[in-house]
Amino acid sequence: MTRIALEHLHKTYPRQAAPALERLSLEVEAHTLMALLGPSGSGKSTILKLIAGIEDPDQGDICFDGQSILRIPAHRRGAVLMFQKAYLFPFLSVADNIAFGLRAKGVNKATIQTEVQRMLDLVGLPEMAHRRPAQLSGGEQQRIALARALVVQPQVLMLDEPFSSLDPAVRQNLQEAVRRIQRELGITTILVTHDRSEALAMADQVALIEQGTLVAHAPPQQLYERPPHRQAARQMGIDTFLTGRVTGTTLQSQFGPLTVSETPGHGGEALYAIRPEHLRLGHEPGAHSLPVTVQSQIYRGDHVEVQVSLGETVLRVRTNEACWSNGKRVFLHLPPEHLFLLKLPGS
Amino acid sequence: MARNAEDKLVDGDGFSRWPAYLGYALLYLLLLGPVVGLVLYAGSTRWFFPDLLPVTWTFETFWRQLSNARTQQAIGTSLLLGGVVTLLALVIALPAARTLGLERFPGRSLVLLLLFLPTIVPPLATGMGLNIIFLRLGLAGSLAGVVLVHLIPVLPYTIFALIGVFVRYDEGYEQQARTLGAGPWRILWQVTLPLAGPGMAVAALFAFLVSWSQYVLTLLIGGGRVITLPMLLFAAVAGGNPATIAALALIFAGPPLLAIALAARALTERTTTVGQQY
Repeated sequence: MTRIALEHLHKTYPRQAAPALERLSLEVEAHTLMALLGPSGSGKSTILKLIAGIEDPDQGDICFDGQSILRIPAHRRGAVLMFQKAYLFPFLSVADNIAFGLRAKGVNKATIQTEVQRMLDLVGLPEMAHRRPAQLSGGEQQRIALARALVVQPQVLMLDEPFSSLDPAVRQNLQEAVRRIQRELGITTILVTHDRSEALAMADQVALIEQGTLVAHAPPQQLYERPPHRQAARQMGIDTFLTGRVTGTTLQSQFGPLTVSETPGHGGEALYAIRPEHLRLGHEPGAHSLPVTVQSQIYRGDHVEVQVSLGETVLRVRTNEACWSNGKRVFLHLPPEHLFLLKLPGS
Repeated sequence: MARNAEDKLVDGDGFSRWPAYLGYALLYLLLLGPVVGLVLYAGSTRWFFPDLLPVTWTFETFWRQLSNARTQQAIGTSLLLGGVVTLLALVIALPAARTLGLERFPGRSLVLLLLFLPTIVPPLATGMGLNIIFLRLGLAGSLAGVVLVHLIPVLPYTIFALIGVFVRYDEGYEQQARTLGAGPWRILWQVTLPLAGPGMAVAALFAFLVSWSQYVLTLLIGGGRVITLPMLLFAAVAGGNPATIAALALIFAGPPLLAIALAARALTERTTTVGQQY
């Protein structure tokens, strides 16, 4: 199937100073699902619009299997985009909505009928053919939109936050459906999202986008457990960073000496990070602890998020108990095996 | 259902409903009174003071007018004119209204003001000036010339009716259609026009009604060679026979009433099925 290559894509919208994309290059392997994760306004959706042909890049190239597609008009690219809004045509029945792309291709009536029914079965709504879009729930509308996108057998499927307006149960249900169908059909898929857990759960590869540039890309587990640098670590929900020189296995951090198990192999400045769920709070000092003050706590059901201050810095810690009263002086334990090295900016 | 519940609520609160009924009665009188008068005049052959109703009832004048070759020709001309003008107006207004409704560009308000001008400037003023130009172009006295000059008062109404559609128009539907493989023409016919349908019906209705009731511009440019229904009506008014005037007036009112009824039906049908979607 289709392998996508984005080469030095550059795009500035009219009347806007900052470019939406800055010489961004990225490759998506055939049959895989790539998630583009980043804050809103980072240029993720622009990437999809450029691939779909709704917008044109100022510079750079887009290739499907090594062939540039920039000269192919949008409706012949075989790159179908699904938006946050389902955009089902209100004046057509569900079946006619799904048939829309096939009619545009000039497929014969009998084939259309069997294909529409096959897609309805695939998205789990076999009985809905004669409904009107207005009679469907939000989740059902997105399922029909998915069926309508898949029926044309696109080379590339692009999903622009298609689940974000749905309630959590429906969202999860649909995420699973999309993932199952994507694997089944092997369609190269790009998913744009600002939801980290959605990106991690669905993607084969996650690309982090910030201010129009590619920050990092890796398989979800690798990106989550070993983000390469501070920017990537922040997007993965880390906000505890330690810098200093390492002598032996001791890091002379900005908060005091700490033991590390991973060493940089040079005597210069090193940058470490630790995930909030690997930090622990205790009433007693330990071998690898720092004295901190409890600022506040947020009860989140399956865990408690405690904010502690360490001098000027505020850190978030995930714990299981909600017994940390505000203003209390406690000890923050940083297990050496969970402190990992990050690349320093500019290295 | 909802209406019944509402009625009961009002009654239950102890409000009397007769002021409302009186209001309805006055409204109907105001709207239907003149029409009733016309029907009486058109249907009477002998109607003398102090009789409340005509002495003899026959619609002879009405049928005579309707079967008159001159009237039939005028109806034909008016319908043809209205139809062509409506079609042309929609073709011109659709892209104009789309741009004015969706885009924000410098000079947009000036364009809107200029579009409004023909509705403010008396047609006599524009008509006199255009007469000379149309004579030079050889368009005076021709149906094509009258079509063109009708577009002047028709276009503002058509464009403004359609701008209303496009200010709340979501281009996402078109983008979606494009990525699904639809080319520009398919998008126009199968996405844009159906979405703009109800607004298009209103715009077409305006266009037809404005063209249908043109008198001054038709006279000035048509030069007496393009005879429409309003011109026969004006001639009859000058003639002073109440029965003839009433008969022609009824004939004149027919097609617009039919058009409004059809549009109203089409619009309510559309909104009940897809109204919530927009």
